[in-house]
Amino acid sequence: MTSPSFKVRTASIGAPTALAPSGGARRRFLGQATAVAASATFMPALVQAQAKNIVVTCWGGDYEKAIKSCFAEPFSKEMGIGVSLVNNADLTKMKVQVDSKNVQWDVFDSVGPQITAGARQGLWEDIDAKIVDRSDLVSPGGKDYVGTYLFGGGVAYDPKRVPEGKRPQNFKDFWDVQRFPGRRGLRTRISEALEMALVADGVAPDKLYPLDVERGFKALDRIKPSVKKWIETTPETITLLTSNELDYTYTYMSRVFPAQKAGSSVAMATGQTINSLEYLAVPKYGKNTEAAMRYVAFCLRPDRQAAFANTVFFAPNARKAVPLVAAESKQYMPDVLNTANIIMNDGWWADKYDALQKRFTEWMLT
Amino acid sequence: MNHSLSTSATVGLLAPLVVLLLVAFGYPLGLVAWSSIHVDGGFTLKAFQNLSTSTLFYRVLGNTLQISAVATGVSLLLGYVIALHLAALEPRRRMPYMVLVMLPFWTSILVKSFAFGIVLGDNGIINQVAAFLGHTGKFELMFNRVGVIIGMSNFLLPFTVFPILASLLAQNRSLHRVAEIMGAGPVRIFLKITLPLSLPGVLAGVLMAMTLSMGMYITPALLGGRKDLMMANLVDIYTRQTLDWGLASAIAIVLLLMSGILIALLLRVRRAEALGV
Repeated sequence: MTSPSFKVRTASIGAPTALAPSGGARRRFLGQATAVAASATFMPALVQAQAKNIVVTCWGGDYEKAIKSCFAEPFSKEMGIGVSLVNNADLTKMKVQVDSKNVQWDVFDSVGPQITAGARQGLWEDIDAKIVDRSDLVSPGGKDYVGTYLFGGGVAYDPKRVPEGKRPQNFKDFWDVQRFPGRRGLRTRISEALEMALVADGVAPDKLYPLDVERGFKALDRIKPSVKKWIETTPETITLLTSNELDYTYTYMSRVFPAQKAGSSVAMATGQTINSLEYLAVPKYGKNTEAAMRYVAFCLRPDRQAAFANTVFFAPNARKAVPLVAAESKQYMPDVLNTANIIMNDGWWADKYDALQKRFTEWMLT
Repeated sequence: MNHSLSTSATVGLLAPLVVLLLVAFGYPLGLVAWSSIHVDGGFTLKAFQNLSTSTLFYRVLGNTLQISAVATGVSLLLGYVIALHLAALEPRRRMPYMVLVMLPFWTSILVKSFAFGIVLGDNGIINQVAAFLGHTGKFELMFNRVGVIIGMSNFLLPFTVFPILASLLAQNRSLHRVAEIMGAGPVRIFLKITLPLSLPGVLAGVLMAMTLSMGMYITPALLGGRKDLMMANLVDIYTRQTLDWGLASAIAIVLLLMSGILIALLLRVRRAEALGV
């Protein structure tokens, strides 16, 4: 591959020599020629040192569009490294890649339970502190993964069907089946459900952790008969509302606003949300580890964080980004300063998730 | 109809399929079996021990067997009636009906399960018609066992209709005529001739329906309630959520053994029957 392309190059730059009228131009040409020759000679070495392209996992839809315009494309422009996005990447496939040491994805973008499960399995490379500066982050993450931005989950309803005054404003209301009778939807995942149950039971959001598991399950017992569907897939948290199968569901802001834009009658109580972090991690045995670390660092830059927040309303994790976010975007974003809000502690979940998820699944069956 | 092939021809004809099965089925299956007993670099039966003490596993196992049996039963009954009807038609008129049976078979199970929401939901066709006819209240047809059984039976129907139809069509019509001449009524002809002769087809249908339903995943996830978790859903939890592949593999192996035992039992029944006749 290299030698024919080199020949073509010499041939094409050979032509101007004959036409070169002045010494200055010739000198310039010589310089160029040397540079071309040098780059041709050292090309293999350069390619190894600097990646041409990295692969980052993604979640599709509006999220992917925002990642492309706020992170991937500006990164390529500045660093000269292309970014390809791969959608619906799951941890299972990531584990297969790392286990077989044949890693195709350079950066893994996911939520707490997945990222910490990957960390326990030893899938991630330690974050390179020389490249990634985490001093400005609200929630820095762990030694081998980095928190990027926050997304809010809360109680949603159809404003056309549910009149004002009948709309649950927080998790206590969601649990109050006397005042707010109706069919409810919750997720099949224990994380978030346990936080919700405890707050509904009266625990102050800032005193949640360590979670009182027994009390949480007792509170879940109370809501169990009113939950019509334990929802497995995220889109269903919206579609079951719009198809009038449920009256109140737990869902995410980043799902509600696109649905509203698309014309669906959905609204969300923003008075109390569970704010979870999205994380980035770099798998072991990657071919472009350094470029991947640079991408992670790039995503944490305040200007990029603010741009992303203005596009899809995820709250920035970098403190310096907060003042850069437009005021009108802030009303759609989880408010990190509201003390009624819950901030997920993925570190607490890390070594308890498996056992509690098993208990929760068992609990659902009885 | 008695063509016999030479051994070399048999081997030659079967070799491509055997190779394909070994590469695309045998090898991955071997890997699953391997990872169920080979955890963290050593041989261990820990995954199976974990399963044997897990109430979650036993509940889900019970669910799976119960749901599979009921769904198979429903699709068998419906399938038999449909097959009887199809067998009685002239071949030319049978064709459009066969297409109708095949139509759901050609549709993705994911699409079908979602589409059932429109039929079975609180505001679905059934509840709306019922309300129009003056029924107050709602039929709870979705997010419970009923929904799962309806969804699965719909999926399984073609798998029971076609083997039964084949064994009905293969029956010698003169047997029925003889019975009629000898004075047997339609019920007696059915019980003494049609039904026994169609049993191989029934058996094939039951086998397919049962094995397919034991591995069902999408239907219980979308149409089921909290109590309708099946084995495949449990495997999913262990592979994707908790990344415990040893346990997931062990469940898969148990599921495989159960299907294997079931098939062996049914084949034995069939052989005993063939010897009896």
